Amino acid sequence: MELKLDTPWQRALDQIKTWARVNSPWAIHYNSGSCNGCDIEILATLTPRYDLERFGVKLQGSPRHADVLICTGPVTLQSRDRLVRIYQQMPEPKFVVAVGSCGISGGAFQGCYNIVGSIGEVIPVDAYVPGCPPRPEAIIHGVVALLQSLQKKPAPAAVPEEK
Amino acid sequence: MNNITLPPLIALLLFPGGLFLLSFSLFFEWADRKLVARFQNRLGPRWFQPLADVVKLLAKEEIVPDGVHKGLFLVLPIIALAAALTAALYVPMLGFSPAFSFQGDLIVTLYLLSVMTLCLGLAGANTADRFSLIGATRTLTQLFSYEAPFLLALLGPAIVVGSWSIAEINTLASDSLWFILSQPIGFLVALVGLMGKLELPPFDAPEAETEIVAGALTEYSGRGFALFRLGKDVELVIGLTLVAAFYLGGIINPLDFLWKVAVLLLVTAGLQSLFARLRIDQTVGLWWRVGALLALLQLLAIVVGRYLNPLLFGR
Ligand code: SF4
Repeated sequence: MELKLDTPWQRALDQIKTWARVNSPWAIHYNSGSCNGCDIEILATLTPRYDLERFGVKLQGSPRHADVLICTGPVTLQSRDRLVRIYQQMPEPKFVVAVGSCGISGGAFQGCYNIVGSIGEVIPVDAYVPGCPPRPEAIIHGVVALLQSLQKKPAPAAVPEEK
Repeated sequence: MNNITLPPLIALLLFPGGLFLLSFSLFFEWADRKLVARFQNRLGPRWFQPLADVVKLLAKEEIVPDGVHKGLFLVLPIIALAAALTAALYVPMLGFSPAFSFQGDLIVTLYLLSVMTLCLGLAGANTADRFSLIGATRTLTQLFSYEAPFLLALLGPAIVVGSWSIAEINTLASDSLWFILSQPIGFLVALVGLMGKLELPPFDAPEAETEIVAGALTEYSGRGFALFRLGKDVELVIGLTLVAAFYLGGIINPLDFLWKVAVLLLVTAGLQSLFARLRIDQTVGLWWRVGALLALLQLLAIVVGRYLNPLLFGR
């Protein structure tokens, strides 16, 4: 039930909404069959060392409270239904970030008998973070790129090389 | 000392009832989160973070799950927030005299603050989801454990002053020795009771995300969740104001209010980051074995003191 009025009032309201959305992405984390490497990196991202709360990111327990579904690993036959259900339980507007090579293509598990495929084949994905596993900086970069695409800004430059 | 009185319409809509209290409570949530973050050696959220959170939640889709009583589901957050905002009218917010005041408003305020917890419990019991049900049970169990000691702790100053009105206690508390010095046990019980009331970290078993997802509010999304959060923030402000007015020598002017409440916030934030979560049976045990006994002891000391005082000193 989205009203599309192009009055100044409506535009201002939309801007406020986008501002709030960009500044308060609450995340939920789901492992759909990853080897746990990516999960460890996500947990490292949430530690005080990287402190995602300064961007407003908060890890939520319930999918009903979350805006961003951070998903790792290929989708196994067993976890497909659960993944879809968690995705459906999230209220609109919702976004999905697939972390790790496995989430992009199936990675190391490609072609296994128990694998449905990549995350993109099961639910719509908004941002991919490549790497096996990606560094915490890369995961932050992926989330920031997603948020900037909401503001219709070009994505920031790629993560600089480690010295 | 007398506090300044405000006309009723302003009291309801702007100060201390509506707009002011909402923005102030968002500021308090930020201060609380920032302090905890600093204690954990993090940078912490930006100053507008709670505002962005609330606006985002309000703009989100609100899902009404299957198997709930729809009216109850939609109306409970509103009642919770309304009760919290109403309680603010009886409290000397920012050092102005309370907008409304009568003998016994202390009890009314405490009940209004409990309505929030009852709404949380009802909201959890209303949904068919097992996590909300467990969360609701724990919320209500916790309510029964901290409520009596908290009430007893606030009773101490009331008995000494001999009045049931928050305004009178506030005025008299600012004229006499700070109650934190004469009743240190009561202060401790009141402050820790407040943390139990707000389900702040050592007492957050009702919303333990590692066990029961998000407790009673698991099924709430969007508007309902935003209102419950706001209600909790408002309760934080009112609770801290109450404890400051009772135990830290009353609140006379805005400056007085700010530094006293800031000190209390610092202490609660420190306690939050110091202690790990208690199991629900540990919480109940702590309150009934230690909290209630200490509060009763304090009360006994006050009563005996009041009885002995005229005998010994002939006053
Ligand atoms: S991308 Fe690498 S680390 Fe991540 S789940 Fe796949 S194999 Fe594991």
